[in-house]
Amino acid sequence: MFALPERYDVRIRFHGVIPMAMRGQAVPRAKRVNTLRDVDREARRLGLPFGRIFDPIGEGATRCLAVSEHAIDVGRERAFVLAAGRAIWAEGVEVATDAGLRPVCEEAGLDWAACAAAIEDPALAARVDANTQALLDLHHWGVPVTVFGTDRFWGQDRIEDLERALEDAGLRR
Amino acid sequence: MTVSKDSVARRTVPRLVVLSGRLDGRAKLGARARRALGRRGRVELFLAFDDAVSAYALIDLADRVAGRDVQLAAYPVVRRGIPDDPAMEDKRSYAVEDAGRLGRRRGLVRTRTRPIAPEETAFLAAWVAAAPATPARLRFAVAAAERLWFADADGPVDRDAYAALWRAELGGDPLAGDAGDRAVRANERRMARRGPYDTPAAWVHGQWFFAQDRGPQIAARLDDLGWTVAA
Repeated sequence: MFALPERYDVRIRFHGVIPMAMRGQAVPRAKRVNTLRDVDREARRLGLPFGRIFDPIGEGATRCLAVSEHAIDVGRERAFVLAAGRAIWAEGVEVATDAGLRPVCEEAGLDWAACAAAIEDPALAARVDANTQALLDLHHWGVPVTVFGTDRFWGQDRIEDLERALEDAGLRR
Repeated sequence: MTVSKDSVARRTVPRLVVLSGRLDGRAKLGARARRALGRRGRVELFLAFDDAVSAYALIDLADRVAGRDVQLAAYPVVRRGIPDDPAMEDKRSYAVEDAGRLGRRRGLVRTRTRPIAPEETAFLAAWVAAAPATPARLRFAVAAAERLWFADADGPVDRDAYAALWRAELGGDPLAGDAGDRAVRANERRMARRGPYDTPAAWVHGQWFFAQDRGPQIAARLDDLGWTVAA
């Protein structure tokens, strides 16, 4: 998704949202198992690292969402979101701890003191809440969802359809 | 340094789930054994006629399985999804929108614009579930799904038109009565045993996939198991 502006005249606006499992929505075991196995198959097909996981649900996710809002403010969201994703899903990093999260922030070019402050910043937490409400206002429940104009694209496997819409809009570089 | 039980679980459970999903030797041996015994490969597609993306998946998979020594077995269900899911209505609406986008990939134009209530198409599920799994039954299911979402306009489902379609594909009349409902319940139990919790889901010798999203991957799995398209 972050690579799209290299091919199209668009800007990606990232909105981190609170995971379903932290919003009181039921996530049955069958769904959790299938999601992990499906992503594993897709990662192997695409040659992406995956499998050394540390489940971040709870504090880990909350901290990463706060830091991602700070990263947006300093123009480093792409670097941070990619680094955090790799750390959680491929490197087994416990982002709920400072020892785990700090190297991820620094790898993304973020100042750790600023990130630590962001984690405690209620204004950034409120932005995450607003992002989550915006997702619900779109009548959507999960992620990733991309919105282009009035079209909603749910799932990484709809990026090709999003690209078709961008082509149709004459945005190919 | 102390390591909590929670920390161990967060580290080990997802990894075990991923690693156990990679164990595929039994499926591959089974596939070899089936071929040695002259048996066909099998794709079980759990679908719902009221689900627009199920229609797309059925049409798409029938095409991908054609030319392989593989049976596509359609298992229609009516009850599906996560119990008490607050997003259920949103998911049903989005499925209609998504089916339009998916249909365009195959040159199909989605004609319905609003969800259909499950009870409106339950008769189709009952008819298909109760009939023997023949190529004619599959042809009917594909034709009915295509008509329902890519030909019919919004409004009530015309049962008589589908009965005529049944007669054209299978001859005779579809089974009436409770047998169809019982067969649908059996399909729903089978879906739960296989793992999927919603439609459209394809079970392919030990692995299952959301079929509207993973058509090429299902074909690749069949290739991997040795059921390639005949030259």
